[in-house]
Amino acid sequence: MELHQQLTLPQSVDKVWAALNDPKMLQQCLPGCERFEAVGPDQFEMTVSTKIGPVKAKFTGKIALSDLNPPLSYVIKGEGKGGVAGFAKGSATVSLATIASEQGEATRLTYSVEASVGGKIAQLGGRLIQGAARKMAQDFFTKFVQALCEDETLVPEIETVSAP
Amino acid sequence: MYSFKMERAESLTSALERFGDSDDAVYLAGGHTLIPAMKQRLRAPEDVIDLSGIPGLRDILVTQDGIEIGAMATHAAVAGSAHVKTHIPVLADLAGGIGDRQVRNRGTIGGSIANNDPAADYPAAVLGLDARIVTDRRTIASGDFFKAMFETALEPDEIIRAIQFPKIERAAYLKFPNPASRYAMVGVLIACISDEVRIAITGAAPSVFRAADFEVALSESFSESSISELTLPSDTMNDDIHASADYRAHLCKVLIGRGVQMLSDH
Repeated sequence: MELHQQLTLPQSVDKVWAALNDPKMLQQCLPGCERFEAVGPDQFEMTVSTKIGPVKAKFTGKIALSDLNPPLSYVIKGEGKGGVAGFAKGSATVSLATIASEQGEATRLTYSVEASVGGKIAQLGGRLIQGAARKMAQDFFTKFVQALCEDETLVPEIETVSAP
Repeated sequence: MYSFKMERAESLTSALERFGDSDDAVYLAGGHTLIPAMKQRLRAPEDVIDLSGIPGLRDILVTQDGIEIGAMATHAAVAGSAHVKTHIPVLADLAGGIGDRQVRNRGTIGGSIANNDPAADYPAAVLGLDARIVTDRRTIASGDFFKAMFETALEPDEIIRAIQFPKIERAAYLKFPNPASRYAMVGVLIACISDEVRIAITGAAPSVFRAADFEVALSESFSESSISELTLPSDTMNDDIHASADYRAHLCKVLIGRGVQMLSDH
């Protein structure tokens, strides 16, 4: 499964970069995230509970940041095991760029996700992975922009773009 | 680890109480999504509250302005109901085309719409025919009910009692089924409600939606030529091994066109 999307955030690149590197911020914005702990430099462990329709699974996994090019881009890689449900792994390349907007400085955030799932969750939910990934991205960035701007009414518009 | 407690509720009140008393409870309607998920260990609730013993939830009644279908009415019951066939023939057709005989004899209308599977048929009927969803505590308009993939306006413990459909004779449901599961790869419901045309599409995107541009064009002039220039955006469509997003977007338009033809000949 691949997903290429972008959105505009009404904050400077430096602020967005800091938020993207803040474990507390990531935990707060990740739907169903119960635990998010730093276990080394740019290495994290986390537990995420997901409920998608009839399926409810708890994933425990590791996340690592690599190819860091502050404050412009990084690669975030993760893999998790969901017990009998199966496993999921994926990586996302995230990049930031300053753009001009009417309200002043803004940041365009572009991400390309590659993810795969295996085990029973893939058998039963294979047709739903794309939709689930899009929804998680929407939920994540909605909370992210709301926390970043301290405004709970903001809902980001996420556009799908063609593969780079 | 796999054990759970199963209870049959004898009233809505007792079902709600039991749900409230449990840390992890689910309601069981027809069980055609929940039970397979439990068998696969993808869902392991502590308490399963069976709604099949609650009186009145299976009734199909003719009311002043339409038909009220109890949430626990099976697809087979809706497909075979003389009331439904007379007053909303498209709904009987749609119910008769869900899944296979086994699914239709167990699966329920309330279970289907509460689950809001992206490829289920009933959400297209509820949204396309502008039905109302009556729960244990309120009535929800069709446009407010379906929120996102597998998400509805229902509270976690809320139970659907019935679905109220208006009487509509001029409507068609066109479905391109997955040959294995009979789920809709794309399902299009077109309804002519006095001067207004409503189109609800299931299977194509993460949740059922209305094709607003097509509705406006067809309300002005009900002919295939009035929609020839219109397209549906493919970037929000589902994309899987069965069909690409572009294919689904194309299929939506083809099925809308066929529906317009069918209803014009009518």
